[in-house]
Amino acid sequence: MSEPNDTKLMERCSNGDRQAFEMLLARYEKPVFNAAYRMLNSPDDARDVTQTVFLKVYEHLEQYDPKYRFFSWIYRITLNESINWLKKTNRLDALEGDTADSASGPEQEASNQQLSEGMQAALMTISPDYRAVIVLKHLLGCSYQEISEVLEISEKMVKSRLYTARQLLQQTLTERGLH
Amino acid sequence: MTIDPKYFELIQAEIDGEIDDAGKAELENFLAESEEGRTVYEELETLCRSLDSLPPLEPPAHLRHVLLNQAPVKAPPQPSPSLLQRLFSGPLLGYVGVFAAGVALTLALLDSGQISRDAFDDVTGLVGTIADSRHLASEHGTISIDESEVAGTVTLRSAGPLLIVDFDLSARQPVEIVAGYSDKTIWFNGFAQLESTGTSIAAETGAVTVRMEGKRRYAVYLNNPGMRPARIDLRFMANDEVIHEAQLSFSETE
Repeated sequence: MSEPNDTKLMERCSNGDRQAFEMLLARYEKPVFNAAYRMLNSPDDARDVTQTVFLKVYEHLEQYDPKYRFFSWIYRITLNESINWLKKTNRLDALEGDTADSASGPEQEASNQQLSEGMQAALMTISPDYRAVIVLKHLLGCSYQEISEVLEISEKMVKSRLYTARQLLQQTLTERGLH
Repeated sequence: MTIDPKYFELIQAEIDGEIDDAGKAELENFLAESEEGRTVYEELETLCRSLDSLPPLEPPAHLRHVLLNQAPVKAPPQPSPSLLQRLFSGPLLGYVGVFAAGVALTLALLDSGQISRDAFDDVTGLVGTIADSRHLASEHGTISIDESEVAGTVTLRSAGPLLIVDFDLSARQPVEIVAGYSDKTIWFNGFAQLESTGTSIAAETGAVTVRMEGKRRYAVYLNNPGMRPARIDLRFMANDEVIHEAQLSFSETE
């Protein structure tokens, strides 16, 4: 039997169906948590933002317009809440991310770990608007059109932001000897 | 770089899987002739591969349970409520009902000699506290438990002389939780639970024992008449073995 789609689940949630909410949670808990983590660089903050996101979803079920896709709604809330969190904690400006420990051994695993940490640190050096397009594209696998829907900007702007974000990341990684 | 910006756009579109046939052909011709173009392509592709391979993190094990429990219960729409349903449709009366059920259950299970009858006088305060504890009560600490048998949080709050031990747990199997308090002036003041039944409770001097299974949200109320500093020792047990221990403290200065 096929899984009910998001819109159907949202409809059931509005009618007080807790199981439907549980199914939405199972579907979106991990991507929401990971998107928040990449935006905030802290698992604890990501957990708090994830809580806020799902609470907002539940509290505003009636405001959901089924003509838009559910994922674009929940991802928009996630990114907005992450940016609000950065504002609240005075971390809105791009940070000088921690440089990964360059003294790591030559093993591939250590190298991958180093690159992964270096990439996350580099992500924190670009502004949240640029970070958001990277998160949507590379972490959540959204197309240009989907990113445009989530961020409510034109596809042209999506391409432009992606281009700039990647240039900035590449520059930072090169400076740090990680690319 | 001296590459025409339109080729940057085509390179990016190709790597992102968003290029059309005409663009693809144009890009292939360009890359065949431009070494600089090929370098840009390779660098961008490497970067994108690294971004795509960032490892996803697993959310904390108990997060889903917390998320489920924080969502307020929405009643399904009722086409034509009866007078009784209308009377009990308000949140306050709803909680009164839940609390009354909790008290009834408690009275049925408790050794009555351990309870002061005055303990249940302040029903309104209890209902207000459980209904909106985040606004009416001060929080003194939360412990998280993340064991295979049981996961979730326990929070200690206070409202005047009331200590409220708020359990928000999910247990895969029957578990027993003993909340012990060494101060003998503290006494058990009540029990209430939301959205679930099937939790049993027993109180004796200095300790309250709760047995539960499944997802449960409930609160144990203790009266701390002197509002003195107090410590609640929590012991979680499954299959007669201790699986987790934690403490929550109330300080009068908080």
